[in-house]
Amino acid sequence: MSALFKPWSNTVFRVALAGSATFLVGGLAFGMVYMRSPLFTGQHEPVTQPVQFDHRHHVGDEGIDCRYCHSSVEKSPSAGIPPTSLCLNCHSQIWNKSPQLAPVRQAFFADKPIEWRRVHQLPGFVYFNHSIHVAKGVGCETCHGRIDRMAAVAKENTLSMGWCLECHRDPGPRLRPRDQITAMGYAPPATREGRDALADKLLHDNDVHTRTSCSTCHR
Amino acid sequence: MPSLEQKKSLSLPVLDGQGRLPARTLWRSPEEHAASQAAPSAGDISIASPEFPPGAEPPPEFTSSRRSFVQLLGAGVALGAAGCFTKPGEKMAPYTKRPLDLTPGNALHYATCQTRAGIATGLLVTAWEGRPTKIEGNPDHPSSLGAAGVFEQASLQSLYDPQRAREVRHRGAGSALRSFQLELSAHGQRLRKDGGARLRFLLEPSASPLIASVRHELLSAFPKARARAYASWSREASYEGARLAFGAPLEVRYDLAQAAVIVALDADFLSNEPGSLALSRQFARRREPTAEMNRLYAAEPQLTVTGSTADHRVRVRAAEIARLALAILAQVNPAAGAAAPTLPPEQAKWASAAAKDLSRNKGRSAVIAGERQGPEVHAIALAINSALGNLGKAVLTHAPLVHEVRAGPSEVRGLVEEINRGEVDTLVITAWNPLYAAPRDLGLAEALAKVPNVIYTSLFEDETSARATWFVPAAHELEAWGDGRAHDGTLTFRQPLLAPLYGGVSEVELLSALLGETERTPYQRLRELHKSKAGADFETTFTKWISDGLLPGTAAAHEVHALKPESLRPALDAAARVPAEGLELVFAPDYKAYDGRFANNAWLQELPDPLSKLTWDNAALVSPATAKRLALESGDLVDLELRGRKLRAAALVQPGQADECITLPLGYGRTATTEGVARGVGFDAGALRSAAAPYFDRGLQLNKAAGPAHRFAITHSHFTMEGRSLALDVNLMELREHKPNEELEEQRRDHPLIYEKIPYAGNKWAMAIDLSKCTGCSACVVACQAENNIPVVGKEQVEKSREMAWLRIDRYFEGPLEDPKVITQPVACVHCEAAPCEYVCPVNATVHSDEGINEMVYNRCVGTRYCSNNCPYKVRRFNFLRYNDDYTDVEKMRFNPDVTVRARGVMEKCNYCVQRVERVRIDSRVAGQPMKDGDVVTACQQACPAEAITFGSLHDPNSRVSLLQKEERSYRLLNELNTKPRTWHMARVRNPNPELG
Repeated sequence: MSALFKPWSNTVFRVALAGSATFLVGGLAFGMVYMRSPLFTGQHEPVTQPVQFDHRHHVGDEGIDCRYCHSSVEKSPSAGIPPTSLCLNCHSQIWNKSPQLAPVRQAFFADKPIEWRRVHQLPGFVYFNHSIHVAKGVGCETCHGRIDRMAAVAKENTLSMGWCLECHRDPGPRLRPRDQITAMGYAPPATREGRDALADKLLHDNDVHTRTSCSTCHR
Repeated sequence: MPSLEQKKSLSLPVLDGQGRLPARTLWRSPEEHAASQAAPSAGDISIASPEFPPGAEPPPEFTSSRRSFVQLLGAGVALGAAGCFTKPGEKMAPYTKRPLDLTPGNALHYATCQTRAGIATGLLVTAWEGRPTKIEGNPDHPSSLGAAGVFEQASLQSLYDPQRAREVRHRGAGSALRSFQLELSAHGQRLRKDGGARLRFLLEPSASPLIASVRHELLSAFPKARARAYASWSREASYEGARLAFGAPLEVRYDLAQAAVIVALDADFLSNEPGSLALSRQFARRREPTAEMNRLYAAEPQLTVTGSTADHRVRVRAAEIARLALAILAQVNPAAGAAAPTLPPEQAKWASAAAKDLSRNKGRSAVIAGERQGPEVHAIALAINSALGNLGKAVLTHAPLVHEVRAGPSEVRGLVEEINRGEVDTLVITAWNPLYAAPRDLGLAEALAKVPNVIYTSLFEDETSARATWFVPAAHELEAWGDGRAHDGTLTFRQPLLAPLYGGVSEVELLSALLGETERTPYQRLRELHKSKAGADFETTFTKWISDGLLPGTAAAHEVHALKPESLRPALDAAARVPAEGLELVFAPDYKAYDGRFANNAWLQELPDPLSKLTWDNAALVSPATAKRLALESGDLVDLELRGRKLRAAALVQPGQADECITLPLGYGRTATTEGVARGVGFDAGALRSAAAPYFDRGLQLNKAAGPAHRFAITHSHFTMEGRSLALDVNLMELREHKPNEELEEQRRDHPLIYEKIPYAGNKWAMAIDLSKCTGCSACVVACQAENNIPVVGKEQVEKSREMAWLRIDRYFEGPLEDPKVITQPVACVHCEAAPCEYVCPVNATVHSDEGINEMVYNRCVGTRYCSNNCPYKVRRFNFLRYNDDYTDVEKMRFNPDVTVRARGVMEKCNYCVQRVERVRIDSRVAGQPMKDGDVVTACQQACPAEAITFGSLHDPNSRVSLLQKEERSYRLLNELNTKPRTWHMARVRNPNPELG
């Protein structure tokens, strides 16, 4: 009876062993990289909406303050998606025949809401609150980016827990004066000393105590 | 390693911090009591209780092969990985026109009310974008004072119940609401011809002015029609008792703030009677040893919430209460002409001590007769109160609030007689399920078949709906406009929180359809009715009333009435009669199903009974001595026979039960096919009830039946803490004298901690639970369930000790098996500073917050259950199965959006309502205000009618919780383990009469 295993069996086994190890580690590494990539997080990916609402025009050209539409941002966890009636505050007067706005008028008169597609979606176990962030000096732009330059809104940041914690561990540099909260293109002081001084001042004036306890966001 | 069998036989005496055996022996079940008697070294775990509940010990049945295991493993990994991806493209639907005052993401609170036994309790309902998610008490309402009972809170579950009736039925076939209304209007026109001579009503007892006005209109339109009321737990004996004593039926209510001595004669005034929330508050406020403490005497056949709180409780069979009352009257007022009856020594001693105590406290005491007792006991109680000068102080009388003073079986009997004489053509029923609730010997079921038109409305298609010509789904109380009166008469308003989910119709709408008024809405009627009460600016005033939920200053004032000795005389004679011998059967409203109307409520079904800790069942409660005489054990099936009526039920041995007396709670053994939760649960006590003796009777025959024992799901042996000094009590005298109490000191002592001291930021959250105030009513348990989205698991899972309630109420007995003292102790996570659970979690899913809350991070938890095993308080709950997955879309509306709904395989537990803490923190910090003591109110604290739970920060030396924890009766649970709990319990203070010792 010949030998059950030929001499090359060892090589095959070694290659297979090394291969599966590489596969496992590589797979894990790939997964971790993938999870953080925009491919997965949907970062920078414009979302098409049922109505082509252009923030560039409304925020950039017209200079409408964010809070005109997202009116509960200062008093509620949710910034608020404006009710259809709010669109018609202006658009019953201007562009009131525009075919682009037909779905808005339809929704209003049929009392059937427009189903917007969600851009910033957090998992169900995360309880983010807009009002406290705005009150403590975190600008809209800080998380949402230059909305005034987006034709269709895209997620500017990953919204991953790591990204949240970056700021929660060191909020100072991300704060801005309260009158600049909704400003787009806010420029912090040019010098490092100036920025540090402002951060210290805002941390003190706005009474900022960021927290990293789990129940701050998960409950 | 020892096998399971060997482990069971290990005998480990549990020692306290000093290495001594504990001084007191607390026990929770007759089995445990027997064990503690057998082994004086209490805490012997081999005997005290098995380590695991039945069903939890054997390994799970796993019959698959290794191959299928690997397949499952692979599938599990794939599924697990799939769970990591966020679902793309969630849609958001904003309002087209946002309602005024509504901010998406913030809850609104609406004042409304709920009615039981005709009396309204004011409530405050939390609604998120129109979805009611939590029912709380209205702090301004006299019947609630901010607290809410189990029934009020759990009615939220009934609101969304997918088994609720949805369809109008005409002889069983589906019909449209509009065609029913037209048909009913046309029918009303026909009935007008003879003045409604053949029209009858059977209504739910009510004190609502709105219903009264509709009734008045009906009886004007149909002058020959007749309206009756029926409730299975009627209060007519109380009115009749007042008639005997004062010559007029009167409402008797109590102000226990004025009472230093309270005698309860079979009265469960702390739990089930109208105004019990307010009475609990008044009672508990005088249970503080720092002020003048009240003393409660209770005589009752079965252990009740009130009896378990009493300083002196005596077990008396229901039929003997009258003689006991007479004995007190004879001693308090010998001039009343009551001959003192001879009582058994124990009762005589109790009665004499109570009478002396009452006489010492003239004008500051109250004698309360229970609703189960006959008119003569109520009359005697009033005579005693009158003799003591309590009337107008702790005992108030005024005209009845309900329209129908009579609402008992005699009313149904009258109706049945009329039907049998062929005088009824149309019968409108709004009383709850009379075919189930009325004594069966009245023959209502047979009589209904003879009525050509039976119109019935109810939340569910129940036993009665099957016999109705027209069945109309009723609107839930949160779906309809209305009004009512508080237990003190205050006018209360009810506003709907949402439009009827299943197309229900309110009582007012149904009755007005008969008047042909289908267009006039209940809201319009309500406005018209109360228009005259408002001043010039009706709109503003009415809006304020509705938003307040009540009209202040409308409480009924005390009316002075003179005692009528001539009508009282026969009552005294009746009470003196020696009751017939024989085994007694006592009916009781159930703490969870009431009379059966809440039987389909899964929250209530799974809520452990405050005393027996029974879930998903009722039982024939037997005293230990009677059980011994009849050779019965818990779970044995028994054949009960009372005057020819028969029922097979399961017996449960209940310490504190009067001997030779069986208590059978009402509301179970439901047979309606649509009430899927209630069907087949428990035993139908109604089958034994008769119109002649609807509340208790003697001559019961009890025979042990063959067959396997009934399986009860009782939680009192779950989550055992192995017989250590857990629930403590002290005597008032000893506390006042600062007599050293070794047990308390041991539990208060600070032990050194080797861990690094943590400086807690901002707040140092803590809780104090006062056992002196806790009555065990379980309102906190339901509040926690609603607030924290806690699932219901069902009887089979409860048997395996898998109930999910974060907050449990341990009920301990102390003393003799027959007649023990009771301590109830709410236990939730105590938030240890040195938490044993945190050290063993391999994934950091349970950690400490910067303010000392022991957090549970669901998204990190992988379900090892190490934390639960290492928790000495046994307060962690594990989602063994997918308890939360099979809800309909409507049921999902019930969830509190501020709390994660947990998935299978995740551990959970009390987190001090951290969602409320964070809400308050954010709101106050956005407003730039500091958080004040009392700003954060946990759900359990809010619901508690007795104010037994206090929450706050220990950083504030003057916060209420700081002050309470400094009191000398505050102690840490299982202090010897040095876990440094943040929740402290406060020993129950007993105020015994030195005479009774």
